[in-house]
Amino acid sequence: MFSLLYRMVRDRALAEDLAQETFIKVLNGIKSYRPEFKFSSWIFKIANNAAIDHLRRKSIDTLSLDGSPTAETPEQMRATSLQLGDRTESPLDEALSRELGTAIERAISRLRPEYRSCILLRHVEGYSYEEIADTLELPLGTVKTYIHRARNELRGYLEDRRD
Amino acid sequence: MTDISMHLATDEIELWAQGLLPAARAMHLADCSLCRVEAERERKIILELVQLPKFAPSAGFADRVMAKVRVATPSGDWMA
Repeated sequence: MFSLLYRMVRDRALAEDLAQETFIKVLNGIKSYRPEFKFSSWIFKIANNAAIDHLRRKSIDTLSLDGSPTAETPEQMRATSLQLGDRTESPLDEALSRELGTAIERAISRLRPEYRSCILLRHVEGYSYEEIADTLELPLGTVKTYIHRARNELRGYLEDRRD
Repeated sequence: MTDISMHLATDEIELWAQGLLPAARAMHLADCSLCRVEAERERKIILELVQLPKFAPSAGFADRVMAKVRVATPSGDWMA
């Protein structure tokens, strides 16, 4: 489950926060678990929702070059603004490029979050199409389409890189 | 019975890439270069995906989680 979160958000500390949030929800909400649902699928569902929610929030927050919309002072604006010229790698960036820097990992990061969840559950976690449909609450046909499109896009990204 | 000349569906190509496609359908690949090219491309990407490493959270993660979980006591109260 941590691997899924890490590949979804590409930030180790954030993935740990989301994993923690997931486990706390699971343990505190254990009474709402329905036994007809596979337990691991239930955990993945909560984790995936946490990651998707984060990515949606982030896509709103990161649109501004002038800093976070919640920044109230000039210092906060500067601290949260996007520095286009800054290419210095922090130790965290270095760890990220070591762990998620391969061509296939970078290609996965370019997929839509919905495609990313499906392809990771299918080929990294080894879930069946039916299990993915249950976990993500998607129709089976949609899961098949997403996985097929995701593999096509990955191939495209990898072929572009090789050209 | 499936016609051997029918192109492989996406699911069948995935099964072939995993070595799970029934021989009767796999025979189609011998005669169809279109499916053979597609299947080979799919096999490569699937192989790259299944070989991806699993990651683990940092040491102490479980302790940090359990510290935040409420556990019911026999008296029915909650403790941190």
